[in-house]
Amino acid sequence: MTVATRPGADADRAPGRLAALLASPGARLVGKRLLMAVPILLGVSVLTFWVLNLIPGNAAQQLLGPEATPEQVRTLEQQLGLDQPGYVRYLGWLGSAVTGDLGTSLVSGQPVTSQIGERLAVSGELVGLAFVVSLGLAIPVALLAAYKPGRMFDRVSMLVSITGLSVANYVLALLLVLLFAVELALFPAIGFVPLSESVAGNLHSMALPVAAIAFPLFCFYTRFLRGDLVDQLQGEDYVTTARAKGIGPGQVLLRHAFRNSSFGLITVVGLNLGTLIGGTVIVEQIFALPGIGQLMLQAINTRDFVVVQACVLVFAIVAVLANLLADLLYAVLDPRIRYGSR
Amino acid sequence: MSELASEPVAQREDVLGTATADAPVRGPAPDPAEPLLVVDDLRVRFVGRGRTVHAVNGLSYSLAPGRTLAIIGESGSGKSVAARALMGLLPSTARVSGSARFDGTELVGLSEREARRHRGADIAMVFQDPARSLNPTMRIGVQIAEAVRAHSDLDKAAAHRRAVELLAMVHLPAPQRRFHEYPHQLSGGMRQRVMIAIALAGEPRLLVADEATTALDVTTQAQIMELLLELQQRLGTAIVLISHDLGLAASYADDVVVMYAGQVVERARTADLFAHVRMPYTGALLGAIPRLEREPHSLLPVVPGQPPDLSALPGGCPFRPRCSSATDECAEGPPLREHEPGHWWACWHPLPDAPVKEGV
Amino acid sequence: MAVVDAATATVASRPVGGRAGAWWLRNLEIAVPAGVVALVVLACFVGPLVLPVPPPVGGSVLESYLDAGSPGHLLGTDPNGNDIFSRILHGGQSSLTVAVAVNLLGLAVGGTLGALSGYLGGATDTVIMRVLDVLIAFPSLVLTLAVAQSLGASQTNTVLALAFFSIPAFARISRAATLRLRELPFMAAAQLCGTPGWRVLARHVAPNIAPQLITFGMLGMGIVIVIEGALSFLGLGIPPPAPSWGNMIAQGQQSLSATPMLVVWPCVALFVTVLAFNLLGETLRARWSGR
Ligand SMILES: Nc1ncnc2c1ncn2[C@@H]1O[C@H](COP(=O)(O)OP(=O)(O)OP(=O)(O)O)[C@@H](O)[C@H]1O
Ligand code: SF4
Ligand SMILES: [Mg+2]
Repeated sequence: MTVATRPGADADRAPGRLAALLASPGARLVGKRLLMAVPILLGVSVLTFWVLNLIPGNAAQQLLGPEATPEQVRTLEQQLGLDQPGYVRYLGWLGSAVTGDLGTSLVSGQPVTSQIGERLAVSGELVGLAFVVSLGLAIPVALLAAYKPGRMFDRVSMLVSITGLSVANYVLALLLVLLFAVELALFPAIGFVPLSESVAGNLHSMALPVAAIAFPLFCFYTRFLRGDLVDQLQGEDYVTTARAKGIGPGQVLLRHAFRNSSFGLITVVGLNLGTLIGGTVIVEQIFALPGIGQLMLQAINTRDFVVVQACVLVFAIVAVLANLLADLLYAVLDPRIRYGSR
Repeated sequence: MSELASEPVAQREDVLGTATADAPVRGPAPDPAEPLLVVDDLRVRFVGRGRTVHAVNGLSYSLAPGRTLAIIGESGSGKSVAARALMGLLPSTARVSGSARFDGTELVGLSEREARRHRGADIAMVFQDPARSLNPTMRIGVQIAEAVRAHSDLDKAAAHRRAVELLAMVHLPAPQRRFHEYPHQLSGGMRQRVMIAIALAGEPRLLVADEATTALDVTTQAQIMELLLELQQRLGTAIVLISHDLGLAASYADDVVVMYAGQVVERARTADLFAHVRMPYTGALLGAIPRLEREPHSLLPVVPGQPPDLSALPGGCPFRPRCSSATDECAEGPPLREHEPGHWWACWHPLPDAPVKEGV
Repeated sequence: MAVVDAATATVASRPVGGRAGAWWLRNLEIAVPAGVVALVVLACFVGPLVLPVPPPVGGSVLESYLDAGSPGHLLGTDPNGNDIFSRILHGGQSSLTVAVAVNLLGLAVGGTLGALSGYLGGATDTVIMRVLDVLIAFPSLVLTLAVAQSLGASQTNTVLALAFFSIPAFARISRAATLRLRELPFMAAAQLCGTPGWRVLARHVAPNIAPQLITFGMLGMGIVIVIEGALSFLGLGIPPPAPSWGNMIAQGQQSLSATPMLVVWPCVALFVTVLAFNLLGETLRARWSGR
């Protein structure tokens, strides 16, 4: 707050501090990545707008049904602003979007931002839990597998993971429903309980959807990390140096190989996180979860393009942020980048 | 530093050029009775899918404390494999037999756990490529401290202090500050100094330098070699110097072992060897040096012909297909014998006692 | 002699840890999944021609919900009285066709873009990669929907829509591989010799990155089959009554507890095919990287 009242004094006291912080490689990286994100987000929104415009039929027709007269449709189009040329509508949308207003749903008449907020929380919980579960299991399994490559544990875990990777998530979801909801009746197939209502109930209702998303991720991370660890252990000279010091294999694995492998893992997790938020659509659909994917699917079916547009934008923002986060973590952890040699 | 760089060149000229090599190359350490390392008929093969690579086929030498032994031979002759066998650092496809006794302890056949007790503490190794041999994501000081703590019960702070000492010992400027730096912040020569500091952290009695200077430029090479010698004199460490570089062997080693196809083909005191080459392969190595000898540290010359296929070695002398003196007799493998005092070779038709021929 | 050298080099650099007797096992690792892929392809494309299976559509409601093993219906019939086995074979035809086409497009276009991007660097690189970033950030669902709705849902349009996502994926791999290649001395040598860029790309880059791209293509086959299934599952891909594994699963889901086999059969077909492609891709990748 002193900055606001006595800017001159503050600048005197720590003239280089802020400048140094802004000029630090980390800050430069954030700035650069955020700047790079702007054209991506613009591109995505233009592309969405354009693509949605290609689709014959609009919300007015959809709302009024097939029996509506052309006059009725035209009146509603005017009310909804659908009669204006595309670029006008896009610029109008963009103008309010930058202020955080994503418009009102053509179908429900509700503000899109609030609608998306609730949905995003559900999808976020789903994805977040899936990541925690999958990474929490994959890291120890991969470490154990890489500790003695070619042994029983390694072989079994690799077989399980390639099998798991070959199961499409909708297939897995349906099989989970068939087994745990229909046959064993352990978990509900549908019936989402909000977190605000009951934490236990919420987790119970989330168990199957989280499992459906987490299992393929677990398989993927296990394979990725195990493969990278083994590559490091067998192919990298610094591992030989470490072994030549006389330290134990556990230390070589954890302090050396895992440390180096974790960078690759972070990147992959960041990329996945970005794409996954949009990838929950089917699981949300099967388990009737009120997430953002389901919202988008509904909006697609009702031609509620304002909502679709907003959903796509949210997906893109999440993807950009997740990648940025991964890059930042990477930069914080990897000295080669931290010290700006690359 | 410039005199350091030029010294080996001058010496090499002595040995190879004017052939006044009866004079000792470097004041040799007195030959103590007890050797530190005795390698006897060491064999390593790699068993793979359907084929077996015989990388080392009966390597024998001994090395006294504080002395330097050079192992030379062309690429693929099994130098690195033999060195790693001492440390137990070979992949699981390797089958090691024969004997390598370090200070009376047999190294061959040790379990991974037992081998680990020797690594770093008794025998340490410096590798060829310092850029890849250090962990890029760890501070160099931490990497040294890790080696210190591997064989002592020093706490973190003490290991830190020791690491700084080691950095100073290898003449890295500003060791306190360098401790916190990462490998990519150092030059190649500095990285190799760090590698040497790591190797010395466990106070080993034997240091294996596997082409430790190959990746460096000529000036840095000489500096690193001088550092190794200085430390050797200070600490009494024995050194196995694995190299492609004949000049290096001539300048720095007390004894030289010439390897071919995983076998020792000639072994002698350095001066002896360069003055009285017996084995045609060694002769070919020397003879193939271009006359531009003054060019420092010429790499091992190319000997005409192909190196042998280690997965299908014919019986008899392995050099036979490339040897100009070969006769039918050579189909029978010549044994490695001490034909002259201290000078061993494996050949039926040794070269006559004459200086290395001039010209190409 | 050169042959011997190459062989020695291969032995020396093979990943360690393999056992002596694992030779036949290693080849089995390729032969089994390749055999399964061949079998699936054969069954889907040749099966309907030579096997006595009824057409996949136009069944009679009188024959609906027949059990597996009913006369003339190996796996029974669906609610519309169509033969499930026949629908699985025909559904496989469309899945495989779409997957091959999408991956070939990705390989050709994405591979070229990525190699150009990595080789030329600078502004070209930035522009290409930014455009691809936009595509990657764009949900496939929306694009497929738009294509399906504006151009009509069809196999060709599904291919076009999915190619938008395979192209950036291939491009990224191709670019990364090219960048790695660029650091190798022979590339610098070729450039220093004044070899024209296109020639370096064709003679040096393409053959060296091809293995990685082809390997990714195997994994890509699995991915596209799964995504195509997902789109059909959501009603955005191949439109019923034409069969696809995805829309068969969607149809079966409506009576999951009563007739689970309607879901199980297409799931099995999907799983086996994808697993075979994944195993093939993984084994190839392990071999190439073990070079
Ligand atoms: N893991 C391995 N599996 C099979 N063969 C191997 C393995 N490691 C090394 N070899 C083979 O052993 C032989 C000796 O290799 P080595 O690395 O000891 O040669 P070198 O004399 O050190 O050569 P250079 O001077 O090139 O370093 C080579 O033919 C090599 O191909
Ligand atoms: S034994 Fe025969 S073949 Fe071998 S080096 Fe001597 S002369 Fe040549
Ligand atoms: Mg070597």
